[in-house]
Amino acid sequence: MAVVVVQVGFALNGYREPHKFFAFQPFNESSTWSAEIVRVTWDDERIPVEERWGDGAYSWDTLVDMAALRHPERLRHAYMGVGATVDFLDDALDWVATHTPADHQTRYLEADVTYYENTRGPQHTTLRSVERERERGPA
Amino acid sequence: MTSVFDRTGSVRALAVLRMVLGAVTVVHLAPFLRDARNGIHYDDHFWEPYWSGIPKLPGEVWAVLLWVGVASAVLMACGILTRLTTSVTFLVVAGNLLVSQTHFRHNRTFLTILLFGLALLPTGRVLSVDAWWRRLRGRPALPDQALLWPLYLLRTQVSLVYLASGISKLVDPDWLGGIVLWDRVVRYQYHLEPTPLPDWGIDFLTWRPLYLLVAPAAIAIELFVGLGLWSARTRLAALWLGIVFHLSIEVSASVEVFSLAAIGALAIWVTPSTRDRVLRLPAGSPVAVVVRALDWFGRFRIEPEPGPGDAGFTVVDRDGSVLSGREAVGVVLTRLPLTFPFAAPVVAVGALRAPRTPVAAAVRTP
Repeated sequence: MAVVVVQVGFALNGYREPHKFFAFQPFNESSTWSAEIVRVTWDDERIPVEERWGDGAYSWDTLVDMAALRHPERLRHAYMGVGATVDFLDDALDWVATHTPADHQTRYLEADVTYYENTRGPQHTTLRSVERERERGPA
Repeated sequence: MTSVFDRTGSVRALAVLRMVLGAVTVVHLAPFLRDARNGIHYDDHFWEPYWSGIPKLPGEVWAVLLWVGVASAVLMACGILTRLTTSVTFLVVAGNLLVSQTHFRHNRTFLTILLFGLALLPTGRVLSVDAWWRRLRGRPALPDQALLWPLYLLRTQVSLVYLASGISKLVDPDWLGGIVLWDRVVRYQYHLEPTPLPDWGIDFLTWRPLYLLVAPAAIAIELFVGLGLWSARTRLAALWLGIVFHLSIEVSASVEVFSLAAIGALAIWVTPSTRDRVLRLPAGSPVAVVVRALDWFGRFRIEPEPGPGDAGFTVVDRDGSVLSGREAVGVVLTRLPLTFPFAAPVVAVGALRAPRTPVAAAVRTP
């Protein structure tokens, strides 16, 4: 009985929570998304993440290494659902901002996301990573 | 409720599932292992814990555990230290699923659930090196009977998976109206173009009105499988539709190991008793060899015909009814896992045209 209650609980939670963890609601959308992701430097430059940075040490696709988030510049099928994709993208921006110690330029990352929910749209949202600490000394 | 917890039955079909899931687990872990061999750990790129407070598993430990999981899955498939290796396989697959939100997939959760259920059952009592080794040492074979409540747990969980998925689509107007399915097919149309499908076939598959029928039919199939597996009257139909359903998902979507795991998991719906049907054949018939080789679930006890005047190919069913000729062949072919997908629709059509006519109902199987 506990198993049934827990599984039904997860299934119901899936109607609320974008990732639908353990809710068994696969193929629930045919949405698409793309994002223009930039690094905003301390000099207010906006540099697309398609360019490697940190003296060539970093690339977006390698840092996220997640099929759902690679090549964000192209309009892509949000196979996990657009809610889960945007949520992961938001977390990925924070992760990249805090795991790139050789990058001395970037203040934060920003993603301008465009998405179509089951062909309806476009809709837009802007995501921003946590702000990195400015390093002292020569840049 | 007490009787459910006390009921015992054969674990033979689950031993077959154990072997399938051993192979499925190796395939599932292979991409992670490839990364680990190249020195790439899960925490070397973006990852996200389910809960911020839980301690982080070091990447090196994760890599070692993957090797343990693969070795354990191979041992589990062979039935070596079966209970232990099944439990270890479950723990590694579950751990890898739960180490990061980015590892979450419905198919991986499904595999984890199946492994959990198997870990609760003594599937090593049959079709295993453990059983063979026991016989080799001259010790009496353990009965393949066990308490079945973990099987009922698995059945409930698997049924809920189909129902949760079907209901979520049923209440979504975009899904029920066919937009989601149609848009997917149109989006991945470029996969169809290199196939031998003619242009009119591709046009038909991407024709929007088609999905006004296909989408509700897909939902109905999913719900029917989830419910129909429970009733003996509808089980064979639900099993057959389940196989077709999973094969159609396999060719139309990227679902990792889901199709194989889900088709293998249909073994949990096999009646948990063995050799309770009798197949009578002429002495020395080569059919006996074929049936023995294909009867993975142990459905039939093969006996020679008692006398020269018998029908030649007879089946004594569980209820004691004696079938011969085409009907007997139908019963055999629909109970062997490899022939079931082809035989079931033929037998169903035959049954609609001519109702079952047992030769006699005098013999009752034990």
